[in-house]
Amino acid sequence: MLLILPIALLSAYTWLPGLLTGQGEPLQILALALAWLVFNALFVLMLTTGHTHRYRSVLFILIAVALPLDFIPWMIKTYGSMMLTDDIMFSGGASFCPLTMPMIIIPALLKRVVIFPGELLPTGAHGAFSVMFIIWVAASLALGRGWCSWGCFYGGWDELFSRLPKRPLIKDKQIDRRWIYLPFAVLLAIVLLSAIAFQPIYCEWLCPFKIVTEFQAPATILAIVQIAIFVTLFIGLVIVLPLLTKRRIQCGLFCPFGAMQSFLNKINIFEVRIDPDKCSQCKRCIRECPTFSMNESSLESGKPLMTCTRCAQCIDACPEGAISYHIKGTSLKASPAVARALFLYPAFLLMGIIGLGTVGMGLWRIFKLITTGSML
Amino acid sequence: MQGFLLGLANGTTCLVFCAPALIPFLMHEGQTVRQNLGTLVKFLGGRMGGYLLFGLLAWATGSLLLQAVGFQGLVIGAAYVGLAALLLVAVLRKKAPAQGACAFEGARARLSRWPALLPVGMGFLAGLKVCPPLLLAFTDAASTGSLAGSLVFFLAFFLGTSVYFVPIPFLGMFRRVSALQIVGKFAAVIVALYYLYAGILLCAGGIL
Amino acid sequence: MAKIKSILGYMVAALSTLIMLATIPGLMFLAEPLISVTGLTISPKYSGGEVVRTIDHDAYQTQVHRMVFDDVLIGERKEGFIQVNWTPLDRLPARIDEEIDADGDGQADFRVEVDTANKETTLTPYASWVLGLEGTYEPEGSLMIRVRLRNPSQITR
Repeated sequence: MLLILPIALLSAYTWLPGLLTGQGEPLQILALALAWLVFNALFVLMLTTGHTHRYRSVLFILIAVALPLDFIPWMIKTYGSMMLTDDIMFSGGASFCPLTMPMIIIPALLKRVVIFPGELLPTGAHGAFSVMFIIWVAASLALGRGWCSWGCFYGGWDELFSRLPKRPLIKDKQIDRRWIYLPFAVLLAIVLLSAIAFQPIYCEWLCPFKIVTEFQAPATILAIVQIAIFVTLFIGLVIVLPLLTKRRIQCGLFCPFGAMQSFLNKINIFEVRIDPDKCSQCKRCIRECPTFSMNESSLESGKPLMTCTRCAQCIDACPEGAISYHIKGTSLKASPAVARALFLYPAFLLMGIIGLGTVGMGLWRIFKLITTGSML
Repeated sequence: MQGFLLGLANGTTCLVFCAPALIPFLMHEGQTVRQNLGTLVKFLGGRMGGYLLFGLLAWATGSLLLQAVGFQGLVIGAAYVGLAALLLVAVLRKKAPAQGACAFEGARARLSRWPALLPVGMGFLAGLKVCPPLLLAFTDAASTGSLAGSLVFFLAFFLGTSVYFVPIPFLGMFRRVSALQIVGKFAAVIVALYYLYAGILLCAGGIL
Repeated sequence: MAKIKSILGYMVAALSTLIMLATIPGLMFLAEPLISVTGLTISPKYSGGEVVRTIDHDAYQTQVHRMVFDDVLIGERKEGFIQVNWTPLDRLPARIDEEIDADGDGQADFRVEVDTANKETTLTPYASWVLGLEGTYEPEGSLMIRVRLRNPSQITR
């Protein structure tokens, strides 16, 4: 419990300064403080009960739902609409999202330009390149693909719909496992095509999450086609298929950023391990894994595929307690509790950096709606 | 020499423009380094064919036709659409089964031969894409004043650009990773869809 | 050896927490150095490229950007654009009528007339490589036009 205190104090940076200095809207400070309480309460529960996934999942979903609650009213107040017009893009008003990282790397290395209509430094736009880049580098070093279950502010939508049904309508055996290679193919295609087109192809054509943030105004037939595509992808990959399969389909079978982060799992110090002595081969982990990262070969090798997002769903689901977080290089018989704690700290910090402010501001918008009748 | 140096200076552009089609195709084929080299040679051969055809057109008609934006758009757009179609056929076709069992050897021999033309066709259409360094080459080649001079210039330019394609066959070193074949197939479909869209747009711009 | 690996493993794991902790002040102190050290800029396709000429009028300024043909990975495009901004938006006259020198050779390359109230724009090219008006926009604080150009260095002799 003593170890929780520093985290709790640190994460209070979102609301405490406002309270102490007397600056800042009272309703906003209250909302941020409430978010801080929820975050830290769930973290305490995570550490003390030994259950990770159920509490992580709540926060993960809260972050995803809170983002549009704050972002869309901000867009409307700042620009008059959630739609990106050429005027907004030429002003550098598009908010930078980490999902663009794979596409911008080659042009940035070769020509030192960022092929995105945003801002480099945090001035006006919700997310500036430099901020997102620093967070991405830190999270990638600390957690690898753990980003996908602890940091991504979109994945919670996928998780929400995958958790709604009691049982999947489309069973695991009915899903062709070769689809897990699609995210890598999308990654390869968008990296190559973005380099030659000098535009962020995934953002323009494929990102389903534009529906909850910002998208190009339907001023041309092309823009209307693009809108139709991403709406279809959101409905299909984020709502319908997760409801039918109880899996995070967008995250596990489409997202190219997740594919890129999978490579970083190879160098990340944390991993998930299966203790063969305890494993009863019930294969519940294979059925539970939301990103298809567990299969028969995982049980043989004692670890999931490189696409593991460290969500802990398999860890919590295993009836034998055979699965746990593990630190590479340490003994397989070492205490899993230590590895778990050492993982949860940076994971929770990432969640706090990305999500605490987001949830607080989303809550504030709801308070505003209740008290003033407007979220703007 | 001038053509070769121009090719060397601009070859990375050619590689970048050809890579989205070539790399997923080679990954999907899952061939050895040697087989990939053969495929690459066919691709480059087709590419050279495309270059020479354009070079001949430019020399024969004077650069007027080439400069006509509508004509360029139509040709490049059609090349994109053709490239997309070939890429889709290449990765979605069922590969020819093992020889020996079938009685129709003539038809079998023809069928097993035509997949070899796929990289040639892809290279030819990729060559028609008229990437920026190619325009420079046209301008310089046309200034030589003779057909033979133009063709020699183009050949040298082509050789200069092809240097950068040398590492590509080494994708074959990873052929045993079956995942790469599946990734290549998926990526080729995505790239093909993009070329289809770009081609239709260019054709529409060229017609209107 | 196993013990050393184990100690290193725990150290790196603990470092992960430190890395995430360092992110919070890092966002405040590393953002600017990151951009200045790397020399990164936003693609000229969106930013319009650097301003190369500023013309002062009484109440407003005309900012002429460089010609952009390099919004491509390698080399230059056959066709590009030039961006011209008039700022500040609230101090512009009802009508702007200006000749613009795009390539900096001292000769005007096109003339632009803009009705600032309804953004109606008329472009009169002087140079053959000025192709036409791409659009009139109002990004934050200014009125802006983009004019399509053919790359003068790629025109056939």
